[in-house]
Amino acid sequence: MKKAALIILFLVTGFGCTNFLDPEPVALLIDDLALNEAKDVPSVEIGLYGAFRGIAAPKVIAGDMTADMLIHIGTFNQYREFSNKQITSTNASAAALWGSIYRTIYVANFILEKLPGVPGVTEAERNEVTATARFLRGYAYFVGVYTFGAMPITTTSDLESNRNVPRSSVEDLLAFIEADYAAASGEALPESPVNAGFVSQSAVVAARARLALYRQNWAEAEALTSQIIDSENYTLVDDYSDIVLSDFTDEAILEVGYTVNDDPGTDANYGLNDLFRGRREIIPSNQTVVALSNDEAGDRFRNISFDLSELGGVDNGWSVAKYGTADEDNNNIIVFRLGEMYLIRAEARAQQNKLFGSGSALEDVNVLRSRANGAPAVANSKEQVLQVIERERLYELAYEGHRWYDLVRTGRAKVVMTTFNTNWQDKFELWPIPLREIQYNPALQGAQNPGY
Amino acid sequence: MKHLLLLVFSGLTLPLVAPTSSQAQSRVITGQVTDIDNFSLPGVNIYIKGTTTGTITDIEGNYRLEVGGTNDVLVFSYIGYLTKEVPVTAATTIDVKLEEDARQLNEVIVTGYSYVKKRDIIGAIASVSADDIKNLPVVSLDQALQGKAAGVQVTQSSGTPGGGITVRVRGNTSISASNRPLFIIDGVPVEDGALALRSFGGQNDNALSTLNPNDIESFQVLKDASAKAIYGSRAANGVVLITTKRGSKGAKTSVTFDVQRGVIDLTNKLDLLSSEELVTLQREAITNAGQDPDESGIIKGVTDAVNTDWIDQVTRQAIMEQYQMSISGGDEQTSFYSSFNYRGEEGVILNNQFLRFAGTLNIDHKVTDKLKFGNNLTISKTRNDRIKGDNFLDGVYSGAVKSLPYYFPFDEKGNIIGPGNSNYAGFPNFNPVGQAVLPRFQTNTLKVLVGVFSEYQFNEHFRARAKFSVDYNDVAEDQFEPSSTAIGGFLASVGGLGYGVNSTGTYVTYINTNTVSYNQTFGDHVVNATAGTEFLQRTETSNFVQGRLFPSDDFTYITSAGIVDAGSSNKVNSGLNSYFAEARYDYKEKYFASVTTRYDGSSRFGTNNRFGLFPSVSAGYRITNEAFFPKNTIVDDLKVRGSYGFTGNERIGDFAFLGTFASTTYNGVTGTAPANLENPDLQWEVTREANVGIDLSLFSGRLQTSVDGYSNLTSKLLFSQPIPLTTGFGSIQGNIGEVSNLGVELSVNSINFDGDFRWSTNLNIAKNDNLVKSLADTLPLFRGYTANGAGNTNIVKPGYPLGTFWGLNFLGVDPATGDAIYEDINGDGQISPDDGKVIGTAQPDFVGGITNNLSYRGFDLSVFIQFSYGNKLLNFSNTALLNSGEDINNNQVRKALDRWQKPGDITDVPRYELGNTQNNWHSNRFLEDGSFLRVKNISLGYNLPVRYVEKIKAQSIRIYGSATNVFTWTNYTGNDPEVSTLDGSTTAQGIDFFTLPQVKTMMLGINVKF
Repeated sequence: MKKAALIILFLVTGFGCTNFLDPEPVALLIDDLALNEAKDVPSVEIGLYGAFRGIAAPKVIAGDMTADMLIHIGTFNQYREFSNKQITSTNASAAALWGSIYRTIYVANFILEKLPGVPGVTEAERNEVTATARFLRGYAYFVGVYTFGAMPITTTSDLESNRNVPRSSVEDLLAFIEADYAAASGEALPESPVNAGFVSQSAVVAARARLALYRQNWAEAEALTSQIIDSENYTLVDDYSDIVLSDFTDEAILEVGYTVNDDPGTDANYGLNDLFRGRREIIPSNQTVVALSNDEAGDRFRNISFDLSELGGVDNGWSVAKYGTADEDNNNIIVFRLGEMYLIRAEARAQQNKLFGSGSALEDVNVLRSRANGAPAVANSKEQVLQVIERERLYELAYEGHRWYDLVRTGRAKVVMTTFNTNWQDKFELWPIPLREIQYNPALQGAQNPGY
Repeated sequence: MKHLLLLVFSGLTLPLVAPTSSQAQSRVITGQVTDIDNFSLPGVNIYIKGTTTGTITDIEGNYRLEVGGTNDVLVFSYIGYLTKEVPVTAATTIDVKLEEDARQLNEVIVTGYSYVKKRDIIGAIASVSADDIKNLPVVSLDQALQGKAAGVQVTQSSGTPGGGITVRVRGNTSISASNRPLFIIDGVPVEDGALALRSFGGQNDNALSTLNPNDIESFQVLKDASAKAIYGSRAANGVVLITTKRGSKGAKTSVTFDVQRGVIDLTNKLDLLSSEELVTLQREAITNAGQDPDESGIIKGVTDAVNTDWIDQVTRQAIMEQYQMSISGGDEQTSFYSSFNYRGEEGVILNNQFLRFAGTLNIDHKVTDKLKFGNNLTISKTRNDRIKGDNFLDGVYSGAVKSLPYYFPFDEKGNIIGPGNSNYAGFPNFNPVGQAVLPRFQTNTLKVLVGVFSEYQFNEHFRARAKFSVDYNDVAEDQFEPSSTAIGGFLASVGGLGYGVNSTGTYVTYINTNTVSYNQTFGDHVVNATAGTEFLQRTETSNFVQGRLFPSDDFTYITSAGIVDAGSSNKVNSGLNSYFAEARYDYKEKYFASVTTRYDGSSRFGTNNRFGLFPSVSAGYRITNEAFFPKNTIVDDLKVRGSYGFTGNERIGDFAFLGTFASTTYNGVTGTAPANLENPDLQWEVTREANVGIDLSLFSGRLQTSVDGYSNLTSKLLFSQPIPLTTGFGSIQGNIGEVSNLGVELSVNSINFDGDFRWSTNLNIAKNDNLVKSLADTLPLFRGYTANGAGNTNIVKPGYPLGTFWGLNFLGVDPATGDAIYEDINGDGQISPDDGKVIGTAQPDFVGGITNNLSYRGFDLSVFIQFSYGNKLLNFSNTALLNSGEDINNNQVRKALDRWQKPGDITDVPRYELGNTQNNWHSNRFLEDGSFLRVKNISLGYNLPVRYVEKIKAQSIRIYGSATNVFTWTNYTGNDPEVSTLDGSTTAQGIDFFTLPQVKTMMLGINVKF
C-alpha cells in the first residue's frame, strides 16, 4: 500500500510540464507565421483589402459632410462638429480615417517587405500582389494628402521608425503616390478580376486619372479617362437607381466589398447604413434635397428618400438611400466608377477649352444627364461649363464622398461653404491631424494644420 | 427515516408534544466555578440539562441554583472552556473546575497550502464561518461575505437573482486587468465573474452562484502579502479560500434537513408621474419651445385617458424556496459529508427566475495511520431565465421606468401590444411587459468540481500530499426574441421576423498540486515548512450561432431560421507552472517569523518575462507571553505583527504579448489581418504590500479586536499604451502606471452578555484610500458612459481614485430665465465639454457591517447592518427621468414638478423646454450622496427544547424566519443606493442607470437535525 501511495504521489507530480506555458492561439496567427509560405499570400492580401475598406466610409463623411451635403441630428459629437463646422483635432472620424490610411499602408509595407522572402510564390502572383500593395498604398496616401495635407511617409512595418516620423512635403508625397501608381500600372494586375471588389488594371488607370485631375494635368486626365471609356470594359447602367440600390453594376471599376458575413454592423465610424438609417445620426441637408429635386438632376433624386414619419423637429424626413443593410444589395461603397470618368474627362476637356460639340465637356456631361433623364445641360462659356460640371458632380456622385474635395481643389470652397454655414473657415479646407498623433509622435509636435 | 422525511417536507408544521415533566421536591445547590489554576470564573452559564432553568456565576465564580431532584444534570458552559456536565448528587455544594477548550484555542485555519493556529496568525486574514452566514438566504457564496469581513467590499449589482456581484479586497489595484480576488475552493481556483457569453446590458450572471453556500464550512480572506504571496502572480486582488464541509471521523451519522420558503418584493419603487401630471408637464415643455402642444398631439383629457403604472405591470411578488438535505458521519477509517440542495428563486420581474440543483460528496479515508485518501465532488446545474438588463434600450425594468404612462401594455382583447400594432410606441417605449414575457433567454450551466488527494505521513516530521482537481463549467445560452419584441420585430436591420442566438461555452481548469511539509520542535523553537509545485491549465472553448427571419413565432430554434448569418467557435488555452515554499518559525509562541515565496510562470507573460518571483516576509510578537507582562489582567492576549511582500496580477488576457494576425473577411473572402503588436516584455502587474496589525483579546476572550493598517502600491499596470496610428496600430500592450491603496481596518468581536441571555456583537469597519499615481501619459482616460455636454461620466486621472466622476459643475438654476447655470471653468465665455471637472468619486470613505446576535434560552435573534459612507452615486437615470424636457419620450420623476416655471422661482430643477439639451447636460446635478445604512438581515430563530426534540428522535429542531434588506437609511433619491449598472466595472462603478433595485426577501425556515 505504501508503494501504491508513493506511485500515486509522484506520478501525478510528473504531470507538470512547461508546454502549459506556450499554448498556441487558435484564432490568432503569430507575426512570423502570417506570411511565410505561398498559401499565406492570398490571406494577407485579403487583410490588405480589409484595411483599405476602412478608408471608404470615413472618406464619404469627409467628402460629403465636411461640405454641404449632410447634416447631423443624432448624438455623436464627431458628426455634430462636421455639421456645425466646428471641427476639432479630437474628432473621432478624423482619427478613424487617419488610422485606416496608415493601417492600409502598414499591411502594404508588411507585404512588400516579406513577400520577396516567401518561397514558392509564382512570379505572376508575386507581381500581382506587389502591384496591389503599391496601388492601395498609393491610394491611401492620395486620400490622406487631400484630406490632411502633407502626411508622414512610412515605408516599413518597423514600430520604432513609424512612431517617430515627421510630415513630408506635399510635393514629395504626390511624387510617392505617382511612383506607387506607376509601379502598379501595366500587366501585373488582372484585366478583369472576380468582381469590382478587387483591383484591376483599369482601377489603376482610374486612380491615375483622378490624381491627374486633382493635380490639374488636364491632358493626362483626358487621356487616361478616354482609355477607360473607350475600352468598353465598363458601360453606364441604363437606370441610375441601380447605382443607388445595387452593388457591382456594369460601371463599377472599384468598390469596397461587403457581404452579409462581413457587414460592419453598427460601428460608429464605419457603418454608413447605421449612421444614415439605423441610428439616423446623419441626414441630407435641405440644400442638397433641393438640388437633387432639380430637373437637371433627374433620376439622381433617387439618392435620397423621404419618410413622413421621420419628419419633425430638426429632422427634414429625408434619408441617404445609397447604403443598405446587410441583407440589401447596396452595402458596398464605390471607389471608382465609369460615371466619374465622364466627369473627370468633362472637366479636363473644359479646362482645355473643349467646351461644346463633339468630343467636348458638355457632351460628356450630357451623357450622364440623358442616362438620368435630366434636362440637357446648357452653357455659353467656360465658366458656365465648369459650373455645370460642379453641379453635375454633386448630382451624379452624391454621397460617394467627392463634394468637399471638389470644392477645395477648384477653389470654390469658401464661396459655397460660407453661404451654407457662417461658421465656415478657411482652415476647414483640410482636416486637422488627429490630436493623439501630435501627442504620441514626437516628430509631429507643432506640425498641426494651420488654424487647429 | 422515511416518516421523518415526510414530516419535514409536508410543510413547516411539526407536531408539538405537550411537556410532560414530573417535578420532585426542589432544593438549592451552591458552589464555585474556577479554572484549572483555581482562578474564579465569573459569568459561567449554568443550567439544568433538558430545561431552560439556569443561572450564571457571580464575580467570585459562585452560583446558587434551585434543582428538582437527583436525576438532574447541571451543564456548565463558558466561552473558551470545555462545557462540563455534572450530575446532581445528594451533595448541596458542587464546585467545578473548567478546562480551557484546547480546540478553540488551537483552532487551525487553512492558509493556502498549510494550516496555522488561528491565534498564531501573523498575516491579515479575515475568517467567516458557516455559522456567520447560516441565516442569510443568499444565492451565491460571494454574496455571503457581504459586510462580514473587514476590508472585503461586496456589492450586489442589482436585485436580479443569480446576478453579478463585485468583490474587492482592499480596494482596486488595476485599471485594465481584473480586480476580482482569486477564489479557491478546496485548493482549486474556480471560475468567478460572468460565465455567460452574451451581454445582458451591464448585468452579468455569476459563476459562483452555481455553488451551494450551505456546503461551505469556512471562508478565509487572505489580505496581506504574508498570507497571500504564496499565490504569487494571482494574489494581488486578495485570495478567498473556501473550505467545504467534511465528515468528522468517529462521529455518529447525522442527517440535517433545511427548508426555506419566502417571498420577495422590490425594496423601493420610484415615484413617477401619472399621465395627468406628465401631460401637463409635457405641454409646458412644448409651449416653452414655442410650439403648440395640441399640434404635437399631447392633449389634456385625451392623451392622459390611460394611466399605466409600468413598474407594477412588469413586477410581481416573487417566491423563493430552498430544500437542503445533508448527511455526514464517519468511523475511525472513513468519514463523509454529502448534501443535496434545490433552490428556486423567482425574480421580481416577470419571467425571471433562477433554479439550482447541487449535490456534494466529500469522503476521507484512512488506509493506514500513514496513508490517507480523500476526494471532493460537487455537481451543480443551474437554470437562469433571464430578462434584458438595464443598459439595453429595450430592457424590461429600464423600459418600465421610462415608458410613458399614457400607453398601455395590452389591447382591448388582452393581447400584448407589439410591433405592427398602431398603439405600439416604438423607440424608446418598447412595451416592457412584452419585453419581459415574450423572449426566451435561458442560460443553463453545469458545474463539476472534483478533486482527489492522497497524503502520506512519512514520520512525525514529514508529510507529502498530492492533489489533482478539475473545475468543469459548461454554459449554454438559448435565446429567442420573437417578432412581437423590439429586436425580433421592430429593428429593421434584423428583418422583423424573429431573432435567435444559441451559444455554448466550456471552461475547464485542470490543476495538480504537490506539497511536502515538514515540522519539528526543538525545545521552545518550532519550525514549519512547506514546499510544492503546482501546474494549472485552463481551456476555454466557445461557440455561437445566430439566426433570423423565422417563418413564424412558433418556430423558435435556429433550425427553422430563414437565414443563419453569424456564428463562430473559438478555443483559448492558458497555463501556469508554479513552485512555492514557505517557512514559519515561532519561539514559545512569543516571537513569530515567516517567509514565503512563489515562482510563477504564466503563458500570459511575454517571452522575456515568463517567470516572476513573489516573496514575502512577516514577523509577530506576542507581548502577553513575556515574563514581564502582568498575569491576570484584563488583557489575555496581545500580539503585534507586520508583513511586507510582493504579489502579482496575471489576469491580463491571453496572448496579449504576441504580435498576431487574426482572421478577417473582405467581400466574402477570408484572409488574415494584423491584430496585435508584439511586446515580448509584457508582464504581470506587481503590488508591493506592507501591513501592520495588532490583535488584542480582553476579558478572557470576550472582547477580541484586530486593527490592521496597510499601504499597497501596484505598479507595471497593464496598459494599452497609445502609440501614433502611423505605426498601423493605435496601441501596444505595456506595463505602465501606478495605483496605490492605503487603508485601515478594524474588527471587533465582543460578547456583551453571557449566560441565559447572551448578546454578542461583531463589528467591522474599513477605510481604503485608492489613488491613481501615474498613467502612461498625461492624457486623461475617459470612461463610463458618453455624457451629453461633458464628454464622459468617468475619468481616470493621476491624483484621483479609480471610479472618479467627471462632468460640468452645476451652479444652480437662473431665477430669471430658468436655465441651468454651469461653471465656465476655462473662462472662455461659453460652456463646452472643456469645462468638465472632477465632480466626485464612487469610493466610500468607509464601509462596514455590524452583526448583533442575541439569544435567550431557545430563542436567537440576529440583526445584521451594513453601511457605506461618503461614496457618490451617479443617478444617471435622471438624465432621462428629470430631463428638463430635452425629449418627451420618457416619464419623469416627481421631482420634475419642482421645475422652474416663472421668473423669480427659486429651484434646482431647470425649466422644461422641448429640445433644450443644455439644461440637461451631464453635471453634478445628477451626482448624489450614495451613503447608506441598511438593515441587511434580521433573523429570529427558536430551537425547540430537547424534550420535544427527543420525541421524534431528532438532535435539534430550529424554526426561523429571516428578512433581508429590511430598512435602508439613505439620502439617495433614486431607486436604491446599492446598485451598479456596469457590473464589475472599476473605472465606472457606482452608476445607477435604470438598475433593478435590491429586493426584500421575507423567509421562513425549519432546520431539523437527526
